[in-house]
Amino acid sequence: MSEVQAITEKEAKARALDIKSLDNPKAMKLYRRFDGILILVLFAFITLGIQIQFTLTAGDWDYWIDWRDRRWWPLVSPFTLLLFIGAFTYGIWTRLRLPIIATAVTTLLCLVSWLSRYLNFYEFTHFPMSFTFPSTYIGLGILLDCTLAMTRSLVVSAMIGGGLFGALVYPLNWSFMAPYKVPVEFNGTLMSVADLMGYEYIRTTTPEYLRIIEESTLRTFGGSVTPLTAVFAGLCGIVIYAIFLYVGSWINGLDKYAKRIV
Amino acid sequence: MKRMLCGKVGVNSLLASIVLLLLAGDALAHGERAQLASMRMRTVHWFDTQVTPLNVKVGDVVTVTGKFVTSVWWPKHMPSIEETVYLNIGVPGPTFLRLHSEVNGVPMMRSTAFPLGKVYEYTTVLRARIAGRYHVHPLLNVMDAGSLVAKGTWLEVADNESGEPFVNEVTTLPGDTIDLETYGLHGVGGVYFWHVLWIMMGVGYLVYWLATKKELFIPRFIRIREMGDDRANELLTKRDFIASSIFFTLTLALILGGYLWAENKYPITIPLQTGLVDVEPIEIPSGDLEVVVDHATYELAGRSLTMRVNMTNHGDSPIRIGEFLTANIRFVNAEVNEGEFYEGEEMVSMDGLTVSVDYISPGQSVDVELVASDALWEKFRMTGLIHDPDSRFAGLIFYYDDAGTRYYQEVGGSVLPEFF
Repeated sequence: MSEVQAITEKEAKARALDIKSLDNPKAMKLYRRFDGILILVLFAFITLGIQIQFTLTAGDWDYWIDWRDRRWWPLVSPFTLLLFIGAFTYGIWTRLRLPIIATAVTTLLCLVSWLSRYLNFYEFTHFPMSFTFPSTYIGLGILLDCTLAMTRSLVVSAMIGGGLFGALVYPLNWSFMAPYKVPVEFNGTLMSVADLMGYEYIRTTTPEYLRIIEESTLRTFGGSVTPLTAVFAGLCGIVIYAIFLYVGSWINGLDKYAKRIV
Repeated sequence: MKRMLCGKVGVNSLLASIVLLLLAGDALAHGERAQLASMRMRTVHWFDTQVTPLNVKVGDVVTVTGKFVTSVWWPKHMPSIEETVYLNIGVPGPTFLRLHSEVNGVPMMRSTAFPLGKVYEYTTVLRARIAGRYHVHPLLNVMDAGSLVAKGTWLEVADNESGEPFVNEVTTLPGDTIDLETYGLHGVGGVYFWHVLWIMMGVGYLVYWLATKKELFIPRFIRIREMGDDRANELLTKRDFIASSIFFTLTLALILGGYLWAENKYPITIPLQTGLVDVEPIEIPSGDLEVVVDHATYELAGRSLTMRVNMTNHGDSPIRIGEFLTANIRFVNAEVNEGEFYEGEEMVSMDGLTVSVDYISPGQSVDVELVASDALWEKFRMTGLIHDPDSRFAGLIFYYDDAGTRYYQEVGGSVLPEFF
């Protein structure tokens, strides 16, 4: 029995009125006001949620320029973002057909990260912004959302958009991260500018050994670490995004309990 | 009435907050009392810690020197310093720049490992960056064990009168001189440029979907519910497809263009560097004195540690016991009048050590009672010794021959409490 057939007569009448209200300018004006409130609430929730989640799961990788290595940072960051984006996208897409969650999450994360770095790291603890600026993932969010908008398919967007989201972290950020990988000689040791900054700008409880620099078994293909990691991250991005779209569908199904309560 | 009550409550809360703020003092300790007593006694014995000078201006150089001995009584329940350790400096974040650090002459940009029962001489050179009053502690970050701090020394940093912004210049291997304070941030192709560009892209995309649609959340929800999932895609227009295609293409072009631009501008780059370095340890200069600990007791009421030891002098010069050091506290034998004391040095008990035997003559083997007694035991929470899971102590005894040459070695063993 389809959902349309299953609804009660009372609910059918209510739905008919809802549809009729879309032709009513006064109702539409009211809806727009509600929409404004909904956007504020949704964006505030996304901002807080992604900030907490990203801090807990990818924190130091995004705080310090000398943590963003070629292997772990491009893997950890997209994973932690995609699981949040996947869970949200399913509901917003199936109920509203708005392909905006990935862009909203990455843009809001970027804005709140800048606020946090400026207030907490620069003003409060005196780290230079050149050492603690956040990474950007906005381009990846746009690619993921656009894939969904163009293909109109969650599955295809997971295959293409999820893959691109995982694979392009390093190229996207390389445009402004490259200067920090320029070599420097210090005390007879080769270091990158980022390594030197990590040494000079003292972090009492973040010693050098806490960084996870290129620790893994992905060492084939003649040391082509960056492209190899990108391919692996792309594959994992597809899987993670697909899994959390499924989680989103499960969360979306919980509305039946809300209806019962109502 | 309600208004009055709110007003009163508000004023009272404000007053209470002001009083609390006025009463709140500076944070004067930075973990040196927080760790377990046994952890401080049996891990690293810091000594000769010296910070010079103690009054500087922003931009001036400060040197921190000292030595430490890694304890052979290292607690078994704690990850060892023999695995991975990093020489660090306990200051409030980057209020100083670290210009140089070394242990036994080896630069310490990277982590290392320290075998137990050896001496390590360290130097850390700092450059004052932010004005203020700081408690400077040398410290070791031991992997999985945490930070082991030496005693702190207060240091005053005044503002630089010139008012010039702080500059931290280095020269890269390709030959460019850069200021790390602002490097890579400004200009076309800098961090700010790219971030503003991407934020504009993100906001532009969101504005397209949220501000140009006549029907948004509630109307779309109503329509999709009516149309059903099969026809819901009809809400996406041709214009949406074109806009998405433009954003998709533009984004890919920006990523690719930015990547190629950076590759062209910075052709020589290297991955982040890591790895452990080796440090050759120094043997403890224990001289010709053999020390065997018989037993030790800790008297809670008297705040004193009593050690009964057997000492045999195998050398040809008489020896006097001058000092006992544990958990960064120096218990000094006032009768010996040896040892250096540094400007601003804390945690020193000038007559805290009594020794039952004045001289240990060459060839003599004698039972000696050392009593380290002072209120510092209480002040630095060493009385918690009896609550430790492994009730043992360790420390360094310093002794001198006739020529005033200093020797030292570690002593340790079980300690029994005396409650009353």
